[in-house]
Amino acid sequence: MTTQLASGAVGRGFGDRLILAATIALAIVMVIPMLWAVGLSLKTNQELLVDTQSVLKAPWTLINYYDILIGSGVFRWLLNSIIVSTGMSLGVLVLSSLAGYGFARLEFPGRNVIFVLVLFGLAIPEQAVILVRHQLFSDLDLHNTYAGLMLPGMSAPFGVFLMTQYFKAIPTEIDEAAMLDNASRFKIFWRVLLPMTLPAQATLGIFTFLHAWNDYWWPMVSGTNQQMYTLTVGIASTQQNFAESAGLGYLMAQAVFASLPVLIVYMFFQKYIVRAVSGAAT
Amino acid sequence: MLYVAPFLCLYVILLVYPLFGGFWLSLHKADLFGGRRFVGFENFVRLSNDQVFLGAVGNTFYFILLTVPALAIIGLGLALALNRQTRTAAVLRGVFFSSSVLSVTIVTLLWKVVYAPEGGFVANLLEVFGRPPIPFLSSAELALPAIAITTIWWCIGLPMMLFLAALQQVPRELYEAAALDNAGRWKTLWNVTLPSIRRTFALVLIIEVVLQFQLFGQAYLMTQGGPNNASRPMVLFLFEVGFTRWDVGYAVAAGQILFGFIAIAAFAQYLVARRKEAF
Amino acid sequence: MIRPIAILLSCLALTSCGVQQPPNEIVVQRFFGTCNAQYGTRTDVAAAEGECGIMTTLINKFSAENPDVRVRVSPVAWPGYNQLAAQLAAGDPPDLVTMHLSSIPDYQSRALIEPLGKDLRAVGVDPQGFTAASSAGVNIQGDVFGLPIDNWAPLWHINMNYFRQAGLVKDGKPILPRSPEELLEHARRFKAATGKPYLVQTLAIERASYARNLYTLLMQQNATIFPDPQHIHLQSPEAKRVVDLFRQIYVEDLTTKNLDYAASTNAFINGAGGVFIVGTWLIGDFEAESRRADRPLSNGYTVRPFPQLYAARDATYIDGHAWVMPAKERTPQQRDAVFRLLKFFADNDFEWSRTGHLPAYQAVIDSERFNALPHRREIAKLSATGMTLPASVQRQFPVADIVGEEMSAAITGHKTVDAALADAEHRINDLLFHVL
Repeated sequence: MTTQLASGAVGRGFGDRLILAATIALAIVMVIPMLWAVGLSLKTNQELLVDTQSVLKAPWTLINYYDILIGSGVFRWLLNSIIVSTGMSLGVLVLSSLAGYGFARLEFPGRNVIFVLVLFGLAIPEQAVILVRHQLFSDLDLHNTYAGLMLPGMSAPFGVFLMTQYFKAIPTEIDEAAMLDNASRFKIFWRVLLPMTLPAQATLGIFTFLHAWNDYWWPMVSGTNQQMYTLTVGIASTQQNFAESAGLGYLMAQAVFASLPVLIVYMFFQKYIVRAVSGAAT
Repeated sequence: MLYVAPFLCLYVILLVYPLFGGFWLSLHKADLFGGRRFVGFENFVRLSNDQVFLGAVGNTFYFILLTVPALAIIGLGLALALNRQTRTAAVLRGVFFSSSVLSVTIVTLLWKVVYAPEGGFVANLLEVFGRPPIPFLSSAELALPAIAITTIWWCIGLPMMLFLAALQQVPRELYEAAALDNAGRWKTLWNVTLPSIRRTFALVLIIEVVLQFQLFGQAYLMTQGGPNNASRPMVLFLFEVGFTRWDVGYAVAAGQILFGFIAIAAFAQYLVARRKEAF
Repeated sequence: MIRPIAILLSCLALTSCGVQQPPNEIVVQRFFGTCNAQYGTRTDVAAAEGECGIMTTLINKFSAENPDVRVRVSPVAWPGYNQLAAQLAAGDPPDLVTMHLSSIPDYQSRALIEPLGKDLRAVGVDPQGFTAASSAGVNIQGDVFGLPIDNWAPLWHINMNYFRQAGLVKDGKPILPRSPEELLEHARRFKAATGKPYLVQTLAIERASYARNLYTLLMQQNATIFPDPQHIHLQSPEAKRVVDLFRQIYVEDLTTKNLDYAASTNAFINGAGGVFIVGTWLIGDFEAESRRADRPLSNGYTVRPFPQLYAARDATYIDGHAWVMPAKERTPQQRDAVFRLLKFFADNDFEWSRTGHLPAYQAVIDSERFNALPHRREIAKLSATGMTLPASVQRQFPVADIVGEEMSAAITGHKTVDAALADAEHRINDLLFHVL
């Protein structure tokens, strides 16, 4: 392929191999914390209490994973995280596509002013509004609901900004051609333009999903009911207690267990994720 | 208008209203559980005299300085090294992005057992070399840098991906022209690649500054802001004042300052990015 | 156009139904950790050990004996107050919550928790039976706002094997210091003999133990900590003396450093030092460890109240745990279930005291079986020497956190002792001034 030449940054030969070696070294540093956690999860709590260097020596055990299977809330937390992250991503995609199309293609009074005001929202950090938002959700009785966990993410303007740019980049001739075919406005949006934005949708979806998956503060103060814990909150709820109770090995097993699904999904879709991010700017 | 309306509704209710509601609330002395009294700008005067808050502001800026340039430069370096179609490169890209899919509570858990002075990974490594453990999280000098390293580890995937995307779009003709000029690797990098992706560079900086301004989970879970206020970021300050001390008006006032900083940062970088393009 | 919006709206409608609480279910929110792997379904309370084990099996047993009630346990990270504040602000609190006695006034003053006296008496729990300290913690303005389950105090947990090595044992009993000077002298002697630091302390991340030490040693000097409920007094020679002492211990490496709560607990179990200053709640765990063979604590663990280092008064700062009932609407079934569970805890306070905590009931303290537990006679005097902070002082938890943060800065040398005490005093008075 020509891309590798096209990058221009690396040619062949010694320098190339040096760069590769350095990158691989960095990658090893990158996975060390994960391997360390996996190692710890394969030892009994009692053994770790005495010495963590025993990680390198047999015997290893799956007892911690077995313990999770019989008595951890991690399944529920995982489920909640999946529901919330998926829901928020879908919501953001729908809202942003509609709004992006609206801002890019439609004429309505005050359009530009409104768009600028929406862009202004890019500078509003969630934390600056979180206390008032918390009171608002209390008044609306939305705490400890999935909607309560998803809605704040849907109000972020980043997706609208991205989709507007993307719709703007599509030549208007395409709309006009469709218009000649007597297609309705919505049909043009739905059948013609929307499919063309799929790469951007993928990017936006992935970013939103990750954001929702990793969000901590809002789920902590909104999903306070144990059945509504997301993974971040659930794992944190056991984190500070390990001296007196669950044990280091158990905690690590729980962390590994909780990370596995998303890592597996990620490995499967990695190619698409990379392509999506790259495609977004094309 | 109909297309824009659903988003606008949410935007106004969940972002604009809380922003202005927050400004109004910040002029009050208010308890988390009811009871408020108008006090004008007293909360802001208090903030300007509050050593802990000022420390938190300093910590936040220091943290940005520690993380954002590193994220941009390492991200760019990785993108340059991995912008090729080999299997190894694909695997490595996967490795560097993998940490981004972990939640903050797992990230901090992993790094706590790396940093722990008793039985942590680094402590064990040092022990092999006969060295004493380093108290990463309980030393005032190391706490924030340690959190920064954790954060860089966690967040490096996104800048790398953004740079990779940008590199794919550098017009091939530019490289072909450079090759015709017999330009070397560094010269091509300096004269062709970097100028072509400066917009992305600005974008990465904006995104990361805004993201890292909001540091919370790592500090809350790893150090609780200590020792000696050395790792308490603004957001943690505002969380503690709001939910531990119930002094909501004061917390929201701190939130306004945070909003101000982020707005300034975003605007300044927007200007820089625009001037670069004009240039 | 309409279709996607309709889909979105119906999705939202679906997701807005959260968790409905069945009419016979009560949510019990507690700290003390999670240990489902070990105790998840066990009901044999007598065989359980440690706070987490005993708490879990107690609740399991209650559920088994009361099949008509569903108890949903929600363990939270200690101390769980941020989460509780968020829940109360959201109007969706649990039915019962563990709370420190010192935090009850905060919630009581804002009418966030319900008075329990009448209903407790109705199910046969007599608040007159609480110990003096527990009673003082839950009684506010003539009513009872919590069911106390214990009192706790900072103790000296001692590794007798090392103490013997350092010649600090006489007639099988540890020799403890009676003055700050003696403490330093013992600590130096201990270090010379064993090569280990005398003290094991939780000096990193968690800051609660600093405040416990300071309060205790101020009380022993008869110092006034709170001249009035809105003001703390820390710029005093008494406070400086205490912080100077801990600074000296730190400077001379007579303590472990940089350990957080979990690490210091492990360190003591692994024989990192002579005395671990931590609360009553670990007696059970350490006692169990001392029965294991070939461990640093094997046959060599004992515990004592905080020694009296200042002549003025034999005193120790104490606090305690209680169940409180947040104000919210409940079905009669739920209310009934709550009080049945409270009665169950009142009846089983002996089991809970096996953790090491002091019972909240005078009858249990006086009972044979409590005194037959290991080391309980040693710490029995705490019910007389234990002192709480004045209940009129609000926000005691954040106050202790500030005390801890500033003391930590002074002890580790980031600030001078004077500056740290001045800052602590200023920050706390500012906080108390702004309590609405």
